[in-house]
Amino acid sequence: MAMAALRREGRRLAPLISPRTITAVRSSPLYPTLEDEGPLGVRHISTQVVRNRMKSVKNIQKITKAMKMVAASKLRAIQTKTENSRGLWQPFTALLGDLPSADVKKNVVVTISSDKGLCGGINSTSVKISKGLHKLNSGPEKETKYVILGEKAKAQLVRDSKKDIELIITELQKNPLNYTQVSVLADEILKNVEYDALRIVFNKFQSVVSFVPTVSTVLSTEIVEREAESGGKLGDLDSYEVEGGETKGEILQNLAEFQFSCTMFNAVLENACSEQGARMSAMDSSSRNAGDMLDRLTLTYNRTRQASITTELIEIISGASALEG
Amino acid sequence: MTLNLCVLTRNQIFWDSKVKEIILSTNSGQIGILPNHAPIATAVDIGILRICLNDQWLTMALMGGFARIGNNEITILVNDAEKGSDIDPQEAQQALEIAEANLRKAEGKRQTIEANLALRRARTRVEAINVIS
Repeated sequence: MAMAALRREGRRLAPLISPRTITAVRSSPLYPTLEDEGPLGVRHISTQVVRNRMKSVKNIQKITKAMKMVAASKLRAIQTKTENSRGLWQPFTALLGDLPSADVKKNVVVTISSDKGLCGGINSTSVKISKGLHKLNSGPEKETKYVILGEKAKAQLVRDSKKDIELIITELQKNPLNYTQVSVLADEILKNVEYDALRIVFNKFQSVVSFVPTVSTVLSTEIVEREAESGGKLGDLDSYEVEGGETKGEILQNLAEFQFSCTMFNAVLENACSEQGARMSAMDSSSRNAGDMLDRLTLTYNRTRQASITTELIEIISGASALEG
Repeated sequence: MTLNLCVLTRNQIFWDSKVKEIILSTNSGQIGILPNHAPIATAVDIGILRICLNDQWLTMALMGGFARIGNNEITILVNDAEKGSDIDPQEAQQALEIAEANLRKAEGKRQTIEANLALRRARTRVEAINVIS
């Protein structure tokens, strides 16, 4: 469209052309001024370059807008599942308590993150908290190991804590997120990792704009017994008579494993929700930025265009007036 | 005095209401819970849960889990649950026959165990429809 306008202007100016300036004008419909040196020796950016930039920024805006809508629809699908799964782990916390302050020898930090990027800062916050937990729980007798779910946390944690990583699981989102899948995962973790306390780090989905990094603690049976004897929050556990199996220990063991898989299920769902929400808001601000950039580029483009037309006019008119007088 | 019963499955809250009495199947047999029961935490087997509300008994098939009873509050967490009235008798009977056939065909320890569990689940569903109290 701009090219056609330039061509029209070229034709309008044609009657004023004098033989001397023919070459300059003939070149203008096809090649608008490239890196012109005006009268003061100032270089201005050519319209072609600005037009290319505008095209690419417009494409970026379209892509980010589409990504935002995709994220919004995925969020809606997952949100109902997440809210239903919240009820699942609450009875465990009511019975066994959530004791982040439990002092144990073998800590395992399960960091849940996303596989794909462009989702704001949620993965960095999860990793920061995991590293903080690691530092908090490392000492002469205590040790902390990582179990990593998701590519993004893997990339960040492999750099400096490689020796502490026990298990890495990626491409979680390829399989549908239901309890069966997560229980298989939980089974893997429980089989391969020795632990006294499992701390699951994930982003809890409060609302579409707010994601709170949270830590859920699942204690192994020995620690639960120890804490129950020492009183405090778990002191009530002893008042419950445990039935339904050979020994109390066996039931508590099964209970702890069930608790772990329920908490994992909830954590994975919440993190997926937070990921989609964060991606939505990141893409939204990105398309808004692209719109602003497009406005600024349009102004620059118009200024450049008008400057080049003015320059041509000046050349022609000065050439014509030089001929006359 | 009534009991507050809450049955939760993996995907949803299955049942949440006040009841007068429940009969639960555990690994070591069936237990009946009346109001003001002593606090217990128990494992729930694949079996039937019977609830008495408003002098009417309802049956549900539960597929294993845990139960916690204390302070007149009962929380049951199970892998899966179905109301007796929601189960189609024909389909449940067919599922039972298929499960029995699978058990006979099963080879190897793992398949036998899985077939056994499937059989118990199918049998529970059939019983849930048939039990009248």
